[in-house]
Amino acid sequence: MAAGAAFRVAARRLGLGAAPRRALWGGFRKKEQELEVDKIVEPEKKEPSLICPPPRSRKYLPPEDLQSSLEFLVREIFGPSIPDNWQQTPLKENRLKYRLLAQLASELGHTVPNSQLHLMCSAKDVLNFYSTPVKDVSKFDELCAAELPPNLKITWEQ
Amino acid sequence: TAVQAWVESLRHPDDTRLGLADLHPDVFAVNPRLDILHTVAMWQKNFKRISYAKVKTRAEVRGGGRKPWRQKGTGRSRQGSIRSPLWRGGGIAHGPRGPTSYFYMLPMKVRVMGLKVALTVKLMQDNLHIVDCLEMPTADPQYLVELARYRHWGQSVLIVDINEMPENIENAAASLKTITLIPALGLNVHSMLKHHTLVLTLDTVAFLEKKLLWHDTRYSPLYPFSMPYSDFP
Repeated sequence: MAAGAAFRVAARRLGLGAAPRRALWGGFRKKEQELEVDKIVEPEKKEPSLICPPPRSRKYLPPEDLQSSLEFLVREIFGPSIPDNWQQTPLKENRLKYRLLAQLASELGHTVPNSQLHLMCSAKDVLNFYSTPVKDVSKFDELCAAELPPNLKITWEQ
Repeated sequence: TAVQAWVESLRHPDDTRLGLADLHPDVFAVNPRLDILHTVAMWQKNFKRISYAKVKTRAEVRGGGRKPWRQKGTGRSRQGSIRSPLWRGGGIAHGPRGPTSYFYMLPMKVRVMGLKVALTVKLMQDNLHIVDCLEMPTADPQYLVELARYRHWGQSVLIVDINEMPENIENAAASLKTITLIPALGLNVHSMLKHHTLVLTLDTVAFLEKKLLWHDTRYSPLYPFSMPYSDFP
């Protein structure tokens, strides 16, 4: 009982600490406002290395010296192990196939899509693939690829 | 005849063609069974369905115990209760009765085949991409959107990882509607068909191949697979 009375007296004495508490609350509000302002400012800056370039068109026209450059690449990558007709070199080893296709793609700007990678068995298949031109015309396709407002979607299936 | 796919990366927009990944032909080059795809997609839609429609029959409608008028003598048709299905306000004769469940399970091998066919279709229609790791330079959702646009991925992207994903991509995909991130255990035919492109990590590819190929050469179970097995993958 006496301990309880002493506790209540101590609590009343501590009640005077209510004034500095209000100052603390005001201080917290100011800090919260400062944090909000900082968060609004930061995301506006974007690193220039992460800004994506606009999507490239998938047009592809085979260059004129395709055969000679392809033969040169094949000889350079495969080295001595080539049959007489260079177009029949099998692309069995994954590393050589990857090197050849990656170099061709970076030179010509046109990659073999995933669905046709398993069809590339010899250099002749690669040659045939790279000699077929690819166009992405057709007005509806252009419309789909053009910059649309974000709430407009065009589904055009041929 | 193995199938292959390019390995890409999410760190930089131009990070395509980092390597060539070999894919198992029995998972990524099966026959394109569209009928199995349809059955599995319909199963996914319907097996969870419980229709709660219920209407009262003539026995449940309030009232209608007494014969409204005597059998013979009045010129009217003979009626036994005012709540028969012929009457206005009467019960329904053959209506929906109570919650009905449309639950059914397709055989496990059919569902597995559906997943394999869906993966094959995504690869052969050039909608599958393989990423080595889901590390992102920023947690900015706009970066993901622009990356998908630059690489001509499609309107909606489904990204699959095996267990834990880096925080960056989690925060970025959380605020986007067209790009979803799911664990490998949550891969299903409906999501694959609904999203335009599918992006798998190398770990996911290994996991899927291991799990899906086991069903080709397994014994039929002596007890259900839901109970523990020592060699279940």
